[in-house]
Order: sequence, then structure tokens, then C-alpha cells
Amino acid sequence: MIVAEWKPIPELLASLKGHKNILLVGCATCVAECAAGGEREVLTLAPVLKMGLKEQGQDVNIITKTLERQCEPEFVEELAEIAPQVDAIMSLSCGIGMQLVAERFIDLPLYPGVNTTSLAIREQPGLWTARCAACGDCMLGETFGLCPVARCAKSLMNGPCGGTRKDGKCEVDPDTECIWRLIVERAEARGRLEDLAKVRPAKDWSNSGHGGPKRMLREDLRS
Amino acid sequence: MAAAKPDPNFQPEIVVLYCRQALDAEERPPEGARQALGLGVRLVLLPCSSKVEAYQMLKIVEQGADGVLLLACPEKACRFLTGSLKAERRVQRARQLLGLVNMGPERVALRRVSGLSLKDILALAGQMASEVKALGPNPMKGDNLQ
Ligand code: SF4
Ligand code: SF4
Repeated sequence: MIVAEWKPIPELLASLKGHKNILLVGCATCVAECAAGGEREVLTLAPVLKMGLKEQGQDVNIITKTLERQCEPEFVEELAEIAPQVDAIMSLSCGIGMQLVAERFIDLPLYPGVNTTSLAIREQPGLWTARCAACGDCMLGETFGLCPVARCAKSLMNGPCGGTRKDGKCEVDPDTECIWRLIVERAEARGRLEDLAKVRPAKDWSNSGHGGPKRMLREDLRS
Repeated sequence: MAAAKPDPNFQPEIVVLYCRQALDAEERPPEGARQALGLGVRLVLLPCSSKVEAYQMLKIVEQGADGVLLLACPEKACRFLTGSLKAERRVQRARQLLGLVNMGPERVALRRVSGLSLKDILALAGQMASEVKALGPNPMKGDNLQ
């Protein structure tokens, strides 16, 4: 899922300065799964913002709405009735949904309520950890199903770096596994350690952000 | 928060959300508004303390209550095993968020209790009232969330 987290409350309050009627809009898909922008989080943040702004002498009305998906125009259209009643929108979706809302309601300022951080799984209740960085040239087949782009602190293609802790954790973060240690262990368990010694061609980074904004075209699906 | 002027007539309004299982078996579950000595109390019956979410407690404060008191069973006595633990975590979250906007985390509290009578509930509400009195009246009084 796409993972996001609330921006710090003071930053949110500062961005809403001067506004009176605010639409706080969530998304019931990825950001709901990571407890940042689903209906529950929208309903939690609304009174917090209202109280925080009141404390700074600003009275606001907050209208709350959670869309099924904020990254689909059909769902964003549900905001058309509310938009004329507000002078600002704060979105709790990932950056994709936010931009669709901003584009649809071009006259209204849109403020991000969250920072979009990663493509991650819910590893345990209340703990999300990155799994993919959308690099555009997936190498999981060569790394025994473990992604060094998203999960090695240095995105090494030929780890481990030499700093792996004695307990197998990453030198950068004692709570994160050294992914290259896990890759080596999996390779060993499959009797394929020598595969890691193979010289691989340079990774092609151009199919993602490094090649400019990504465009994917499928002629057969175009109308 | 703006310094509250001490008002001798300030009667805190306390919303008490209580778990059905924490009530004395003989007691008829009380609900609705009560006037106790020096405070207004609103009683809300819950089948389990975990039925209430952080956003609901925050909304009650945002709508002007001076305090929200959640009465839950002792941890080991929870009929739904982890219900009162969930309630405790949600209270912590609500308190943390109230602190971040200078509303006073003390406005939301959880107490673990059992065998309650109406008199006990009102006494606990009274304790809560004296704890939130120092904060002065909730500055949100009179406002409503759409
Ligand atoms: S190699 Fe690239 S595409 Fe594959 S999981 Fe890692 S970041 Fe994602
Ligand atoms: S310790 Fe492992 S995960 Fe951390 S930077 Fe080095 S190779 Fe990458």
C-alpha cells in the first residue's frame, strides 16, 4: 500500500491560517490501511484542527468527507457539491489523490494533511515497513525476493556494506534488519550463494523518476 | 491555552462513558443528564469500553464538554478480553492530541472500576470535575462541528 503519515499539527494549523470553511477530505483505500487518512483519521483530525485553530483565535467550520478512492475522478466528483461551501481543502490522501483534487477544484487552495512516505506493508499492528521504491527495473528475481532498493539504507546493489551489526540489524537503524544479510541467508538456504557473485548489468534507473516524469502508454486501452 | 479567569460559579460539565460490565449487577443502568453537587453530568452506557473511539472522545471535548471520563473494567476482568486495553490506548491517543493543541490532556481520562453504583459514578465524575476545574471552562463551548 501507499503509506502516509500526518504532518505535524503545528504545520497543519499554520497552513490553515486565514481560512474559515474547510473541507477535510480523506481516502478509504491505502491511507486508511496505514491509519493516516481513512474516515476514522478524518474524524479524529477534524476536532483537533478545530480546537487548535480556536486556541489561536480562529473560528472555523470543518466539513469532513472520506472518498472511496481519492485517485479516481469519479470519486473526486462527489466533492462537487461541497466545494462551493468552502474556501480551502485539506487532503489526507497520498500525493496522487491530492493532486487530482487540486486539479478538479482549481480555484481552491489545497493543503496536504499528510506526508506520503513509502510503499509498505503492515508488518505488525501499528508498524508499517517499506517494501518497494517503484524503481522501474525490478530485481527481486536476483535478490531472492527481498528488495535492496527500498530496504537497504544505502540502496546497495551489491551489499552488505560491511557495517551490519552483530545481531544482523542495519548499521543505520538498530530496529531494521540488514536486508543484504537476509538476501545472503536466503541465497545460502537455497544453495545458490554463488548467484550473488554473478556480475549483473547496471540497473536501468531510467524507467522511473530518473528518466523524467513517468508516462505509461497502452495503445490497446486508449479510447 | 488562554488563561482562564477563575470563576466561582463554574460548574464543569462531565460526560461519563461507562462500561455495562463495570456496573453492579443489581444496578439499573443510568443514562442521560444528571445534576450533581456543583457539576453537570451526562451518562452514556456502553456495552464495552472499547466501543468508544478516540475521535468520539475528541468530538465530545470539541463540542464543549469540560471533561470526558471513560469508566472501564480492570484489565483482567474485561469480558471481551482486550476491550479495556483498547480503550486505554484510545484515551492515550485522545490525550496526546489534546495536548498538542493546548486543550489540556486531563480533559479525557480513563478509570478502571467494578461493581459501580450510580452514586459511585457521580462521585467519580465529581473527582474528574475537580481535576479539570483548574483548566477553566472549555473554550469550545457553544461551537459545533459540522
Ligand atoms: S527492485 Fe524496484 S520494483 Fe522491485 S521491489 Fe525493489 S524498488 Fe520495487
Ligand atoms: S547494514 Fe545492510 S541494510 Fe544497512 S546499509 Fe549496510 S547493507 Fe544496507
